[in-house]
Amino acid sequence: MDATFGEEGIRMSFNDILSLLRISLHAMVPLALTAAGEIVGETAGLFNIGLEGILLLSAFGGALAAEFGGPGVGLLVGMGIGGTVSLVFAVINTYWRGTQMVTGIGINLFAVGFVAFGLIQLGAPGFHDVPKAVELAKLRTPMGLMSPMILLALIAPVVIHWFLQRTRAGLMLKAAGETPEAADVAGININRIRLLAAVFGGALAGLGGAYMSVAWLGLVTKDLSAGRGFIALACVVFSGLNPLLALLGAFIFGFFQALAEWVKTLPSKPIPGEFVSMLPYIITLLVVSGAIGRVRFPKSLGVPYKRE
Amino acid sequence: MSGDESTVRSRWLRGAHRTLTGLHPALESLLAAVVGLLVGAILMYLYGFDPWKAYAGLIKGAFGGSYEIASSLARATPLILTALTFSICLRSGMFNIGAEGQMYIGGIASVLVAYFILPTGLHQIAGLIFAAFAGAVWSLVPAFLKLTRGVHEVISTIMFNWIARWLALYLAIFVVVDPLRPEKTLSIPMTARFPVLVRGTDLSYAIFVSIAFALVVYFLLWHTAIGYEVRAAGLNPTAARYGGIRNKRTMFLSFVLGGIAAGLAGATIVMGLPPTYAIYGGGGLPQLMNLGFDGMAVAMVGRNHPIGILVAALFFGGLNAGGRVMQFYGSNPVPLEMVRVVMGAIVLVMSIPELIRLFPMIKKRGEELIEPLKRWTRRSEKRESA
Amino acid sequence: MTDQLVPSKNGFFLKADRITKVYSDGTVALKEATLEIRPHEIVGLLGENGAGKTTLTKILSGLLPPTRGRVVSPKGTVRFASPREALDFGIGMVHQHFALVGTFTAAENVALSHDRPLARIRIAETLRKLEALMEESGLHVPLDVPVEKLAVGEQQRVEILKVLSRDVDLLILDEPTSVLTPLEVDELFALLRRLRDEGKSIILITHKLKEVGSVTDRVVVLRRGEMVGDVKTAEASTEQLARLMVGQALEEEADAVELSTEEIPHKRARDEVERTGEGVLHVENLVVKGNTGEIAVDGVSFDVYGGEIFGIAGVEGNGQSELVESLTGLRVPVSGTATIHGTNILGVDPRKIYRLGVAHIPEDRWELGLVLPFTLAENAILGVHRWEEFRGPLSILRRGKITQHVRRLMDRFDIQATGPNAPAKSLSGGNQQKLIVGRELAKDPAIIVASQPTRGLDIGAAHYIRQTLLEMRDAGRAILLVSADLDEVLAHADRVGIMYEGRFMEVCSPDRLDRERVGMLMGGATKAKREAE
Repeated sequence: MDATFGEEGIRMSFNDILSLLRISLHAMVPLALTAAGEIVGETAGLFNIGLEGILLLSAFGGALAAEFGGPGVGLLVGMGIGGTVSLVFAVINTYWRGTQMVTGIGINLFAVGFVAFGLIQLGAPGFHDVPKAVELAKLRTPMGLMSPMILLALIAPVVIHWFLQRTRAGLMLKAAGETPEAADVAGININRIRLLAAVFGGALAGLGGAYMSVAWLGLVTKDLSAGRGFIALACVVFSGLNPLLALLGAFIFGFFQALAEWVKTLPSKPIPGEFVSMLPYIITLLVVSGAIGRVRFPKSLGVPYKRE
Repeated sequence: MSGDESTVRSRWLRGAHRTLTGLHPALESLLAAVVGLLVGAILMYLYGFDPWKAYAGLIKGAFGGSYEIASSLARATPLILTALTFSICLRSGMFNIGAEGQMYIGGIASVLVAYFILPTGLHQIAGLIFAAFAGAVWSLVPAFLKLTRGVHEVISTIMFNWIARWLALYLAIFVVVDPLRPEKTLSIPMTARFPVLVRGTDLSYAIFVSIAFALVVYFLLWHTAIGYEVRAAGLNPTAARYGGIRNKRTMFLSFVLGGIAAGLAGATIVMGLPPTYAIYGGGGLPQLMNLGFDGMAVAMVGRNHPIGILVAALFFGGLNAGGRVMQFYGSNPVPLEMVRVVMGAIVLVMSIPELIRLFPMIKKRGEELIEPLKRWTRRSEKRESA
Repeated sequence: MTDQLVPSKNGFFLKADRITKVYSDGTVALKEATLEIRPHEIVGLLGENGAGKTTLTKILSGLLPPTRGRVVSPKGTVRFASPREALDFGIGMVHQHFALVGTFTAAENVALSHDRPLARIRIAETLRKLEALMEESGLHVPLDVPVEKLAVGEQQRVEILKVLSRDVDLLILDEPTSVLTPLEVDELFALLRRLRDEGKSIILITHKLKEVGSVTDRVVVLRRGEMVGDVKTAEASTEQLARLMVGQALEEEADAVELSTEEIPHKRARDEVERTGEGVLHVENLVVKGNTGEIAVDGVSFDVYGGEIFGIAGVEGNGQSELVESLTGLRVPVSGTATIHGTNILGVDPRKIYRLGVAHIPEDRWELGLVLPFTLAENAILGVHRWEEFRGPLSILRRGKITQHVRRLMDRFDIQATGPNAPAKSLSGGNQQKLIVGRELAKDPAIIVASQPTRGLDIGAAHYIRQTLLEMRDAGRAILLVSADLDEVLAHADRVGIMYEGRFMEVCSPDRLDRERVGMLMGGATKAKREAE
């Protein structure tokens, strides 16, 4: 089955569609994991825009760790980095009652500098190749080589959704984010639960970051994250804190990223590469603008809690 | 206390108290800066560098001589403006993270003066106007989306940053490109350039644009009714509405002003940065890159006040200028990127409120200073509640 | 849990032993407060705003640690690190601002205080337990609706159920009647008596002398953090209690307290209402929707004339806030008419409404009336900052004129502050309210809309404000007074409208009303309803 578009006759074969799908699924992974993790954090009341920085740091750290101990270690270290950075974020914004937005910006700035600095130390400024040997092996499927992480990215949001809706811990998280005063009276330690939620979310984001370098792209660059942290945030906003919808959003955005890449590979470029690169961000914008009316956020999101 | 005695004493005490309380935020910024530099030092040490040497090089490169100070001021020029973008919008209660994108678009717009012939003076004004207009337009769309559809401005401004990056790149490479040297845009003509202020440096009269704008913003916010409305809307939108303030309008206004500031920042690079007076495309507009985000750091350290921003911009400009020297200083120089690490650490520390409370020793010393003042104020408060 | 019920040799369940509490900003909230709590007893904790009642109970219920002193049970000192521990011990508190999660249902709110974290929520079981509890206690509430959609009285019932479901021995209620109709108050008190007879201890925090008299066994009075009285209710007179509450106050202040607690005396300087004859505010068939989309004001019509105080009485939450908001430009009504001297004020910008001669003393001075971080001077021009007096060419503010203005206000209204540039948040509540009142009156208004103007103020400040309003009336202004304090309205208004569920039950002169009638009207009963029963 072939499809022909336009005068120049861009041919899109069945194989092309499969490959588009494959790339989309791969691109979906960091978005889905990060978004799912952030949903947990935001349900409890913490808004972390430092996700971008976390992705970058964990991609870098995870790659380095993988070179020492293999892909598994790389992924674990990535999670650890994500969790630790989120821990710092959480402590500042719960126990020390900081400003979440500012902490997030600080994390992003720090990450950009640190990774650039680190890359120079490794030899090539701005770029580092992850040896094939330590990459996470891809599995052979009818659609081609695919990373097993895709499965994880599909399952995690479902599990998190169940967790939030059906366990008492989920109830506690929601209470802490919505009306912390009530949760406090019910005996919930607000700061502790927010901290745990943030660390969990950060660990997931860290996993997504490490995935990028160790299990997917196989390299680390200065701007590897390319706004993915913010796109994940857009997924969270658009999903109204529903992990299943966020997964859908992640796939959609991943698809457009894949599309942009595919258009760039066409022999005759109907559209300049720069405009194609803009697509994911424009789509994000459109989706968020369209979806906003319906969603409702926890009342205490972004507000530190003090017992009076 | 007899009447006259108490008036004189109390007036002095009141003044001292106010100054000290006013300084309080400045002290916090200072503390954050120190901690940030400390973090940088630790990292440098861990990587095998010599922090003392590095900071020595940094300080020398930032303030070591008139050439260096001029260089720091030149680096500070765009930072003042991008910081104002963030601060003005923050004062009205909004998080405008889009200075980066607005600056790119503004910068490209100011290149357009290359297509005109105008006398000096007018030509520069034209360039500023183009840049301001472009920046304002770019920040208006997120404002519009926020007002009509409630889109969170953080998400929309960030998306616009990325869109702007690619758009500006495209324009720089394909539209306003210099046909003779395709790696950059056209250079603007002599009549549109800001003359160099200190010979041999890259500091131009553009710095006055930045400072003037900062002063205008200060005056606007604290001495006009419009500025009053902006600040009220940011501090308490419900009370502002009660006071007859149309919050949507003030918010819009702050975004426009912020966009103008960022656009002008782009203009200062194009029109005020010798020797090329153009924008290089190369891999992401290197001259402009990150100035928007750095501006946010400046804004925070400057406590979102135009005067504080001027001081903070000088500091960060110094960091940048010093960094350039630091990366060649000594036998094992520290790369420039470390400066951004320090900046990030400073911002992180700034996000902790009441920093001073966390350091008991500082707190105690401060307390000893302020104790007599506190006693006086408590006494006067007791009088009022009696 | 039940072994605490067994009266020990000392006969008490819990004791607060010389509790002192100093907040981090230096305020002394409690000074050596000692209180014994016994089973089979309802204790009234009486005191003005800021006397320390809420602080004491928060310490007892584990929300706050004492600075000095301890909490003692017959077994020894107890220390609660969290409200949860207090709850496990048997102490439950029903807060003034309910500790409920709005988006949760009643069942979910109750489930929140049970169970271990990773357990699956067993909603069915919780529902069963709750239904049994509802039967037992006589409190009925829809269990599957998000709590924020319930009426305030129902929300309070959920709070009480939540606490009862934990089988507490000490029940603390913080100003529970401020959101209830007189009928609901009676039901609540009947429940409290039932619980007391079962052996529970109950602390009822209130500032209303009437309530103390009707349901408590013992009264404890707090003043400025100190325990000043601990008497059996039967043995104390209202005057005694009033004097204990305000201390060595002026005759006037004590009178003011009595004014708000006794039968309505008609302390008016004149026998007749001297209207200037000119109608200032005219409202016709006003319909306004509330935040949840339901009709809050259901077709209200009235007029306010110069030289009179028109009072709107009623329990909060019956549409008063929405009514005031629609008349002051803060809410757009659905339909109806409202004019000031003939000019429409519905759907109009507050700025324009102020220009028409309307002054608005808002019900929430922190959220609405002031920008707390602003200075006194900046707050003094809120709403009038664009008037020519304060704004020059190019929108530049006339600093000199503004300072003059605020100094005049500080003088005239005796506002205590360190200066015109002091931040508004450094002022006491009374001074903040005086600033607002001063600012509004300086507009030289034709009509003053005062919404809960004395809420949360100490006796002196409240008295001052009421006097000011009376002076304004005597000077010929029109005043619309909305207050949940029934006595305040009845004592000061020339005509009263009683609001219930968005409608005026009756509009007449206060002379024609007795408390029983008012109570019923506030609770919605009309002649027709009564006859139907």
